Amino acid sequence: MNDEKGSKFSRRSFLKGLGSSAIGTAVVSTGLVKTDPAEAYSPETSGAARAQKALNLKVNGKHYKVEVEHRNTLAEVLRDQVGLTGTKIGCDRGECGACTVIIDGRNMYSCSQLAVWMEGKEILTIEGLAKGDKLDPLQEAFIEHDGPQCGFCTSGQIMSGKALLMKNPKPNEAQARRGLSGNLCRCGNYNREVAAVLAVAAKAR
Amino acid sequence: MAQAPREFSVVGKPIPRIDAYERVTGQAQYTGDIQLPGMLYARVLRSQHPHAKIVSIDTSKAEKLPGVKAIVHHENAKVPWSSGGQTHQRFIFNNPVRYVGDPVAAVAATDRHIAEDALKLIEVKYEKIPHVLDANEALRPDAPKITPNGNLSVGKGSASAPIEESWGDVDKGFSEADRIFEDTYISKHVNNAQMERRVSIAKWDAGKLTVFASTQGVSNARTDIAKDFGLPLSKVRIVCKYMGGGFGNKNQAQDYDYMAAVLAKVAGQPVKLEFTREDDYIGMHGRWASEQRYKIGVKKDGTITAVSLDAVTNMGAYRKSSGNLSGTDFYNIPNFKKVVLPVHTNTVVAANYRAPSYPQSVFGFASFLDQIAHEMGINPVDMFMRNRIQKYKSKTPFTSNFLEQCILEGSKRIGWQEKWHKAGAMGGQKKHGIGMALGGYPFRPGLGAATIRLNPDGTAHVLVGVSDIGTGAKSTMAIIAAEALGIPLNQIQLTNGDTDVTPYSVGESGSRSTSFTGPAVIAAAEDVRRQVFNRAAGQMKVKAEELDLRDGEVFVKVDPSQKMPLERIVRNAGELIGRATTNPAFKDVEGKSFSAHFAEVEVDAITGHVKITRYVAAHDSGTIINRLPAESQIKGGVTQGIGMAFSEELIIDKVTGIPINPNYRDAKVPTHLEVPEVEVIFIEHIDPFGTFGGKVVGEPPITAAVATIANAIFNATAKRIKELPITPDKILQARQV
Repeated sequence: MNDEKGSKFSRRSFLKGLGSSAIGTAVVSTGLVKTDPAEAYSPETSGAARAQKALNLKVNGKHYKVEVEHRNTLAEVLRDQVGLTGTKIGCDRGECGACTVIIDGRNMYSCSQLAVWMEGKEILTIEGLAKGDKLDPLQEAFIEHDGPQCGFCTSGQIMSGKALLMKNPKPNEAQARRGLSGNLCRCGNYNREVAAVLAVAAKAR
Repeated sequence: MAQAPREFSVVGKPIPRIDAYERVTGQAQYTGDIQLPGMLYARVLRSQHPHAKIVSIDTSKAEKLPGVKAIVHHENAKVPWSSGGQTHQRFIFNNPVRYVGDPVAAVAATDRHIAEDALKLIEVKYEKIPHVLDANEALRPDAPKITPNGNLSVGKGSASAPIEESWGDVDKGFSEADRIFEDTYISKHVNNAQMERRVSIAKWDAGKLTVFASTQGVSNARTDIAKDFGLPLSKVRIVCKYMGGGFGNKNQAQDYDYMAAVLAKVAGQPVKLEFTREDDYIGMHGRWASEQRYKIGVKKDGTITAVSLDAVTNMGAYRKSSGNLSGTDFYNIPNFKKVVLPVHTNTVVAANYRAPSYPQSVFGFASFLDQIAHEMGINPVDMFMRNRIQKYKSKTPFTSNFLEQCILEGSKRIGWQEKWHKAGAMGGQKKHGIGMALGGYPFRPGLGAATIRLNPDGTAHVLVGVSDIGTGAKSTMAIIAAEALGIPLNQIQLTNGDTDVTPYSVGESGSRSTSFTGPAVIAAAEDVRRQVFNRAAGQMKVKAEELDLRDGEVFVKVDPSQKMPLERIVRNAGELIGRATTNPAFKDVEGKSFSAHFAEVEVDAITGHVKITRYVAAHDSGTIINRLPAESQIKGGVTQGIGMAFSEELIIDKVTGIPINPNYRDAKVPTHLEVPEVEVIFIEHIDPFGTFGGKVVGEPPITAAVATIANAIFNATAKRIKELPITPDKILQARQV
């Protein structure tokens, strides 16, 4: 524990006020189980002293200079450093699609892309879809067709839908479903999200 | 309760959510999107043992990691976590740990990766204790005791007690039956799996705790936190503006809110504590698994004479909710006896998930009723129609009951009479099936509060405590306010979800926002309208009672040409504020929303794969306040039911007690590819006790979905799968009946 922090606050006095009660703690030294070995993490390679790499990110047509660690994903750099929090992280393991952004024209899970891979790439996020006050037609369709329930997957659904429409402006229903199928919606609003994509497609016909 | 007008001006139309723009542009700020200066990031270390004493925790290596600012565990943070009320009290860190996933420690650091690194440097010595994972085994006298009371969970008091309910005389009912059937149905633990992982941000300012929580109920979260931290309510502020789903597992305050608060206090800096997706699957709760043993007596024509249900529900290591089973709620059962044993095991906690006690037991009971219809040669639609509930417990009337119309309209829409066939009667590889079941959810009124401020320009500001977990509750409240005030919806601003600013709300759980807070919004509107009319009466030289307000204009009812803009009246007053706290109650009536669901499936006889080809959901929820999100709610509930029917189950390793599939991919939530178009029918009417005639919408749609699909699969295959989820291997291995 960092000393200067520890001295600011007496844990004992704090916890006294919490109405705590004793929990039995019989000490028997059997069944020792270690979590992962500590050896892999030394203060030199881990923690706040880790090496940073300067990176030039191009997001929604603007350039951002950021300092990242190799382990930082694009999703976390967009959210924590660039300040574009419209991209959500639902699983952080490439399953749910809430973090979907468009990279060089393709919809991709930004939680599964390292930020250091992004030099020289064009990244489009939900914040970059509207032209000033003018919403993208797919955003308008999402409003009209009640695309978001809780809204947490919505950015990803829209970005996958947008990537599909960029490649194929007139998808049929099966193609729309396939195009969005990497994006989970636990509110179960799949009918609405597909309807919104098809509404934009219908206008393109 | 407010008198419902016959003609609505805003209510009942399909209106886009008032915050839809923010939600489609990425501007909606969810809890995890909030960044505070100096904020630390926290992660949780969890037990890898299903039952063990913590002998020691050595955090010295973790503390040396640069960037680590605070580490808390059971020795230095003995904070009780008693939210949920019905529980045996637990702490945010427990010793012994009682399931794989029980929190052991939490670390706050300058970056989330450092916090994760630090977890790996904490050395914990455990002493293993014998464990029990199976609910039936847990009830044996020699089973390891998970609580001092044993493994039968405590009831409302402090003693272990089953949930018991009965009326009529079941022995007499069974003696009157022509046939008696007995069978057992099984459901599994299913996680709520909302898209937003659990996240909480806590900060302390001069002894005042602010928690930006991802909670379904800011008021209840404040009460829980204040009680458990020993703080006055005035020193706790809970804020939740946008919320990424919960479906019942973000009710009130949860342990991660507490952990963030303790870490923030220790570190002297704001702390954001975020669960990983795996944490979310194992560290909170899902729907309780159940074993349901039914005995059903019926007359020759299929009329039920008696039902007994003996059941065991697996609540996991801690009790947070009822553990009840309510699937019999939609049937007329003259003689009934139910005994449910909520049992503790050394597994992930089970508690509220959308209509907590319903879909698993609707699956059991409606599957069994469908089976009985088959064995007696009765068409299922006749069986369900004959036995549908008409009065609560066969005696108390409902505020309204359009279940019959749900069955009629739904069966007509899907073409039941033309399409139904005897089970397994269709040849070929892709076998057609059609099935149905009944569902719904209790509707009851209760305590609500609202404030409405009329601005000098004639616009209004509505303040309500409700969360909006995706149901559209904010929009619903704004629509109710617009309707009740007589002011256009686009001139209403709404502030929600901040205990320092907004009045009390029960929280968005139990489908209660509209029925609890809705009446308060109407009453607050009436309060401020009275003030407007009293002021206008003098200026317009009429009596206040002669005035009405619509489209932002005050006018004389008998002569609408005598009118005055609202803003002129309010401008002179500075502002006008309407307030109301309402607490309506039912007397000699019961409330319920009802539904009848219908599905057609195609079962591949070679692969066991099931495709839903059509789905019709007919609902009686009274007046539909806002058709657009209401239909989305129905579609969403059915979608979650599809997951529960086909694939979802948290699987616990039978030896180690470790959950082996705590993630979206392996727990198999439905995707775009499995979900058909869900056709929604609302049997609309004005419920005399509803908010503008509206009952409840959010929870009913999941209740009947699982059983509906199961019955359609039976109709296709003549195979009755009695254990969820209904996977292809179960279908292939089952024998035809």
